[in-house]
Amino acid sequence: MNSLRLGSYTFTSRLILGTGKFSSVSAMIEAVRASKAQLVTVALRRFNREQAEDDLFGPLSEIEGLTLMPNTSGAATAKEAVKAAHISRELSGSPFIKVEIHPNPHHLMPDPIETYEACKILAAEDFIVMPYIPADPVLAKRLEEVGCSSVMPLGSAIGSGQGLSTAEMVKIIIRESNIPVIVDAGLRSPSEACAAMEMGCEAVLVNSAVAVARDPAAMASAFAKAVEAGFDARNAGLMPRSGSAVASSPLTSFLGAAR
Amino acid sequence: MIALPAWLTDERLTEDIEPLLRQTDAESLERLAAEAQAVTLRRFGRIISLYAPLYLSNFCSSGCVYCGFASDRTSPRRKLEFDEIERELRAMKKLGIGDVLLLTGERTSAAGFDYLRRSVELAARIMPRVAIEAFPMSVAEYRALAECGCTGLTIYQETYDPENYAKLHRWGPKQDFLERLETPERAITGGIRSVGIGALLGLSEPVGEALAVARHARHLCRTYWKAGVSVSFPRIRPQEGGFQPAYEVGDRFLARMIMAFRTAMPDIDLVLSTRESPAFRDGMAGLGITRMSIASRTTVGGYVESETAGASQFEVSDDRSAEEFCAALRAKNLEPVFKNWDAAYNNPLPEKERA
Repeated sequence: MNSLRLGSYTFTSRLILGTGKFSSVSAMIEAVRASKAQLVTVALRRFNREQAEDDLFGPLSEIEGLTLMPNTSGAATAKEAVKAAHISRELSGSPFIKVEIHPNPHHLMPDPIETYEACKILAAEDFIVMPYIPADPVLAKRLEEVGCSSVMPLGSAIGSGQGLSTAEMVKIIIRESNIPVIVDAGLRSPSEACAAMEMGCEAVLVNSAVAVARDPAAMASAFAKAVEAGFDARNAGLMPRSGSAVASSPLTSFLGAAR
Repeated sequence: MIALPAWLTDERLTEDIEPLLRQTDAESLERLAAEAQAVTLRRFGRIISLYAPLYLSNFCSSGCVYCGFASDRTSPRRKLEFDEIERELRAMKKLGIGDVLLLTGERTSAAGFDYLRRSVELAARIMPRVAIEAFPMSVAEYRALAECGCTGLTIYQETYDPENYAKLHRWGPKQDFLERLETPERAITGGIRSVGIGALLGLSEPVGEALAVARHARHLCRTYWKAGVSVSFPRIRPQEGGFQPAYEVGDRFLARMIMAFRTAMPDIDLVLSTRESPAFRDGMAGLGITRMSIASRTTVGGYVESETAGASQFEVSDDRSAEEFCAALRAKNLEPVFKNWDAAYNNPLPEKERA
């Protein structure tokens, strides 16, 4: 109950970190260590076998106990994402793939149709498929049906720091889902990550909020604590919200006295 | 009088940017800078994507008065042979470069479509990302280039003022204002994934030019929702021919223009080349600018050995080495990124041809 299961893997940490946007590779590595994340995502775009200084994969692969989840950021179609997944698996040896397909390179909103097609293919090829999706409960079930290991609805637009603006939809996805729901994108503060966990997310994925913080490592650690607190709070059972109406005269008196 | 497309004169497309461009006080500039920095940080983080130009040829059929490669310049003409292109690209790769912009002049028989296509094909085997800045082409030609692994096109309208455009382009195929204006659309239709636009600042009244560029960018974003659009901010530099620009575009205006574009268009790449000084480039990195050229040679070739190169298109202002420039970015807590693309997305380049 206390570990996160994804495919055949289990993780005690429920914070997944993105590795882009940092001011340097060393700042990123420090943040990853401080976050105690056991799963991080790295874009195939940022694999650079020819120049070690520009490569994100190499330094991450040296961290013990860390599982790498390549992502297909840059892909605009299912075909490209599948190709990127194959190359990523070959380069990294990881069975994980974060499917990220955004045909519009500006707002980076995930394409539900292409994502579905890619996931169907990759799940059949035994990848541990982790799709980044719009917060759409129907799409989430469709992806569960084709064999995805989780769904990762966006909290708000990537890099927007708008928090859980899709909370209502994410709640429906969580209520209906048999696979872990992981909020990915849009979170700005640890309190939002905590709220996502309290809501019932199995994990959260954070990148910008940590990468552009003044002190990324300290922010990564703050997110780790918040995620843990949110998870514990959910398991401890949150008290019911106040404010539900209480009728001034009994509504059930017509049923007669209890025998 | 030519019939301009409706978007070019549509003031509603730029009603948010125009007031920002027309302000002149220091206080508003500082406020704009803070906003531009915050927007850049949110969307792009602390990274600057790098690219480098490779001039393939300086043969040219056009008579642009402001250009060192115009066909009446007396400097020797030169084009790189394919084995030279390969050597240049390998030399660039040694510097770490993973994103190359291939440049030519206007179409000539010496450096025409077939030459460019073969050059792209060659470059895509060596570099993860290949873009071009060359003569306007047809949709079919762009499709053929995309199939060889070309993902980007840069084409500047130079000036969006049609009358001034006619005066500045004395002869040659570039005289056709509308054909040039519609070039990004033909490239996108042909399958080129991203297009870069801009005005050569100094040729016409700067605020009008800035508004036209912004309208062009927005028109492209709205019409071609899958296309990447980026904006560059080239200012006229000294070149052979000695052309003096009609308008002076000062550092403060240029900074204001870049920052206004960033706040109004938060998620497109804004590009600054080595035309600008080290101080200006370092200052603007992260204040809106997200993509920069590095270690540039504006002569034909020049990465293998600089003295073999012929005339340059313009003088670069920032001639720092890749190492020096990266150190300056790092000092600003920004990470220079040499590879921010993967050939996996260069459809439909066959897998065995991947860089």
